[in-house]
Amino acid sequence: MSRTIQNYVNGGWVDASPSDSIAVHDPATCQLLAHCPDSTAADVDVAVRAARDAFDEWRSTPVLVRAQFMHHFKVMVEERFEDISQIVVREHGKTRDEARGEVRRGVESIDFAMSVPVLMRSDGLEDISSGIDETTVRQPAGVFAAITPFNFPFMVPLWFLPTAITCGNTFILKPSPQTPLSTELLFELLDELDLPEGVVNLVNGGVPSATALMEHPDVTGVSFVGSSPVAKIIYETCTRNGKRVQAQGGAKNYIAVMPDANIEASVSNILGAAYGCAGQRCLAAAVAVGVGDAYDQLKDELARQVSGLKVGYGLDETTQMGTVISDSAKERIESMIGQSQDEGAEVVVDGRGLQVAGYEQGSWVGPTLIADVQPNTLMATEEVFGPVLSLMKAEDFDEAVDIINQSRFGNAASIFTSNGRHAREFKYNVNAGNIGVNIGVAAPSASFPFGGQKDSFFGDLHGQGMDSIEFYTERKIVIERWV
Amino acid sequence: MASLNTFGAIMSHAIKLEARLGDWYGSIGEGGKARAADKRRRKLERARRENVLEITLEPIRGLDAADYALELDDGTAPCQAAAAEVAARFYADVAPKINVRAAQRALERCGKEHAALASGATG
Repeated sequence: MSRTIQNYVNGGWVDASPSDSIAVHDPATCQLLAHCPDSTAADVDVAVRAARDAFDEWRSTPVLVRAQFMHHFKVMVEERFEDISQIVVREHGKTRDEARGEVRRGVESIDFAMSVPVLMRSDGLEDISSGIDETTVRQPAGVFAAITPFNFPFMVPLWFLPTAITCGNTFILKPSPQTPLSTELLFELLDELDLPEGVVNLVNGGVPSATALMEHPDVTGVSFVGSSPVAKIIYETCTRNGKRVQAQGGAKNYIAVMPDANIEASVSNILGAAYGCAGQRCLAAAVAVGVGDAYDQLKDELARQVSGLKVGYGLDETTQMGTVISDSAKERIESMIGQSQDEGAEVVVDGRGLQVAGYEQGSWVGPTLIADVQPNTLMATEEVFGPVLSLMKAEDFDEAVDIINQSRFGNAASIFTSNGRHAREFKYNVNAGNIGVNIGVAAPSASFPFGGQKDSFFGDLHGQGMDSIEFYTERKIVIERWV
Repeated sequence: MASLNTFGAIMSHAIKLEARLGDWYGSIGEGGKARAADKRRRKLERARRENVLEITLEPIRGLDAADYALELDDGTAPCQAAAAEVAARFYADVAPKINVRAAQRALERCGKEHAALASGATG
């Protein structure tokens, strides 16, 4: 009998209300790791009240003291770095390096939060009128929540939690019920950190707890990362309930490869972008557009390099690509590959039906390369969220940009080129929130906002960077005259 | 033996190599060399933790752990020199394959220390 994980509320671990639970499996071994409770609105209410009650004391805790907690938190994460990355591998299925990279990115977000004492400073002006001074102050805004996805179970919560609380807010995290174990360890560390009770809270579960957070009158704002249809629902629900919201959705990220690019080096980079985390990330390269003569070279080199990727269990250091998250994800991805064939595309490397010796029950989909994808077909328009890279052909640079801008998504786009003019025009004209030039995964570092346009983002202020300081604070204008 | 085909596989091999050498140096009464190996191991652990960024996830080709097997039979000077030579060759081969400079530098430094041990330049 596996254990059921607990919520963390008001400084202690508590059972969720009795309800159905969600089984958490290692997607490679199929080993049952734990059960995740499906917390109720009542569980959420307890957590929100704890966060609300903690707010006044926490906001008046000096910002340098709040930042000091982050210094200690970072040390704890560094000390448990390998343990955390191992848990990420086991519950998600990604490779060990990918898990380490995820933890590293999380640490960068803690680093960023240490800058809050500087970043929260505001401005002012003396003598805005005779003897009158006017200043701006930033204040924490209240109780914030984040609803985070399965694909980066440790990193994405850290995009939000450290900055939110260092700004003086209190916080509730609801992680994906598919991968709750990384956040369980995250909260074990936060528990050791000895923050005041109620500053950070963890509510495990699915739709009921997410809905309760979005509808609770004492929650000021919600951050979300997930698919576009859900992001749209989150945005609409939160705005209807008068909340701040930043909802990052799905993607269909294009990469243009120009004839002047170094094809072999570009393909090595594109490989990581397309098949890293088995394609289960919002910055995954989904479509490579070969421009002119680059198309055939790109297809040949991709086929050669994709075939050489080693798929296996993530805890084996030599594995270069792990599993997808579940059997249902595998079925969906394999079905989409079949549909693309029906639409006339050529499956150059077929990852369907892959078996990995010793892990026969795992949710494996091998790296897949699909060529001759046409505009407006499934692989050109729909997010796969799996290890599938499609190839399209454009006659010239302008056509490549047109193809990319037709997408309803606008998360990321990259160009591989040695031509500065094309790079500049790409940056200037492509409608995507994160642009890569000779970089396949245009992942913003923690001090920059994580971009996103069109159906890839709903809201005004993005996660990370100065946007996060704006999101987590309220500006107050003070006009003073002393006679 | 495993292929050294990822950043993690290379760094973990280096960490295990230093741990094994550290234990061995300790067992043959070479305390100074054991401490130096432990220091290198800790530096490499840090390099693995801090440099595993997206760009390091590109596949790495042409390296196999079997080519760097250590023969730690006894503590004689020739045996120590041979072990240091293997380690130095390992670092010389893997460092250019790592595309993050800080991690590459950590590997290069380890290689230099082993090369010095192999030539008897330091004790």
